[in-house]
Amino acid sequence: MQRRTFLQGLAAATALGSLPLGVANALSPMASVSVESLPKLEGDLTLYLGRGEGGLYENVLQAIEKRNPKLNLKIRRGGSAALANTIVAEKKAGVKRADLFWAVDTGSIGMVTDAGAAKPLPTDLTTQLKEGFQYPSWSPVTGRVRTLPYNTQRVSPEQIPDSVMALADSDLKLGWAPAYSSFQSFVTAMRLLEGEKATRAWLKGVNRNAKKYAGELGVVMGVERGEVDVGFANHYYTLRLKSGKPDANVALAYTKNDAGCLVNASGIVALSDGDLPVNFIRYLLTHEVQSYLAREAYEIPLVQDVAQPEGLESLSTLTPPAMDLRNLADLRPTLNLMRDVGVL
Amino acid sequence: MTTTLKKMGALVFASAVSFSLLSGNAMANGAIGDHVNNLHAHIGEYTEEVHWLESKFGSVVDAYEAKDKNLKTDVLMEYWEEVDFHSAIETQYVPIYATIWQGIYGVKMAIDNGKPVADVRVEQEKLNHALWQALGAVKLASQYQKKGLIDQVKTTEVEPTTGPEVIDDIKTRLDRVVAKYAEQLHEVATTLVHDTYLQRFEGVEGDLIAKDAALVEDLEKDFNVTLPQAISQDEGVDAVRHVVEAMQVKLDKARKLLVEAEKGRKDVF
Repeated sequence: MQRRTFLQGLAAATALGSLPLGVANALSPMASVSVESLPKLEGDLTLYLGRGEGGLYENVLQAIEKRNPKLNLKIRRGGSAALANTIVAEKKAGVKRADLFWAVDTGSIGMVTDAGAAKPLPTDLTTQLKEGFQYPSWSPVTGRVRTLPYNTQRVSPEQIPDSVMALADSDLKLGWAPAYSSFQSFVTAMRLLEGEKATRAWLKGVNRNAKKYAGELGVVMGVERGEVDVGFANHYYTLRLKSGKPDANVALAYTKNDAGCLVNASGIVALSDGDLPVNFIRYLLTHEVQSYLAREAYEIPLVQDVAQPEGLESLSTLTPPAMDLRNLADLRPTLNLMRDVGVL
Repeated sequence: MTTTLKKMGALVFASAVSFSLLSGNAMANGAIGDHVNNLHAHIGEYTEEVHWLESKFGSVVDAYEAKDKNLKTDVLMEYWEEVDFHSAIETQYVPIYATIWQGIYGVKMAIDNGKPVADVRVEQEKLNHALWQALGAVKLASQYQKKGLIDQVKTTEVEPTTGPEVIDDIKTRLDRVVAKYAEQLHEVATTLVHDTYLQRFEGVEGDLIAKDAALVEDLEKDFNVTLPQAISQDEGVDAVRHVVEAMQVKLDKARKLLVEAEKGRKDVF
């Protein structure tokens, strides 16, 4: 499978799994909205912001502030999981300091929605999102897909199995970053989809034949250098490497209908009632912000009618698994399992 | 002011400004209070403390020379932990803070290993030099602080918000790696390297790789192999410092690229 051809039909493909039952049918998608049509933001807002892609999320926030001089935006920054824990703890203590929570991973969103801290979103907001990404109590902002970057000089696409589970038994030399949060979300998805026993066997199998890296860009670079044949990593690392080094010996392959091609998302939650938090979310879903994040961070826009990141071509073969992304919050059993088999 | 002190002044200023972006909760030792947030008022006290330390460290070496059987070199660390000057230099100029610890362990190891007293005196001289250099740095920082050119030391987390700020923060954290290594806190130093990679460098390398893939590859190796190995192989403070200084040169290049990337970016709206 070629690198540039995996995202066609992403919306349709992701629809099946991640949408809460009953909601999808009730909502019909609508086109993306321009910032020009949004109301001005006025008043005080406190945003808890998970660490994002360099300064790009900050650039978005600064642009929103510049456009809305009467908005007094206070930002608390930190790791997404740590901020989610803080919000849950504050709720238990009867304190509410944040009006919004923008997290870089869906697991952290799940912690907050499970705690009952999230406020419902209006359907005219959620229906701007592509099918499969419409949730009543939180809004995805941008997406990323799990991929198998492979070295084009060492392996051919035909040698790569289309089942992530089969990779544990293959002769391919693998690269992974077990300590990396995206990888752990992927293992969580596998545990929920395939069960603990199968996931344990998979981790042990891969561990026999895998080189460990600290982060997933490291995995992709290791693949490109030929240290390993195939890696596990989010899509954007490969696209960025190809952007800086167009002749890099790396391309993307995808598994089918399993955790290996999970589509995860950053997302935002309104923690306070009223129009202001909801209208702030509308800014993140505008055509302009979605385009910016796709263009600059290679993230996948999740509202209708916004072009995919440059360098990507759509392909209808992507088949992410059927699961509610918020379940990825169930991370502790995953970490215990990974420690138990000795990969952490 | 001598040329050396002027150079040091520039470094202190840069370090202090960047440090103001760093969390106060990274401090391993010493309470953060008025004595670091109002340096100028405490310069006399710090000067006394440096004299006191010089005399205490000297008394340890004298005892060694006198073949005092009751001599315990751990007292060297206890003296250093005891003074307020400790936090003042740690918060204002962590590279010299590392040098002081290097000096303390230089004296300690020379004694513990039964080196000739002349060798111990050489180490003691290096330590004394570091202490006075540190006092100079704190005095200069106090001037900047008095003029409002540097912030008070923060005691809560402040996150860098732009790519160039992240690079500045990484450089300061790497200075702290040397300091923690010099304190013989090798696990702390290694964890700090790991955290700096995951919490900071990982956030900017996506932008960087599109500009200079070779540079990112080089820094990836430094973060994940070269620096952790220099710490685990325990080759000494100078060796770890050498790795960090080489990384900081590469990070300066990365910073320029990120500034250029930011300039070339189209507006969000």
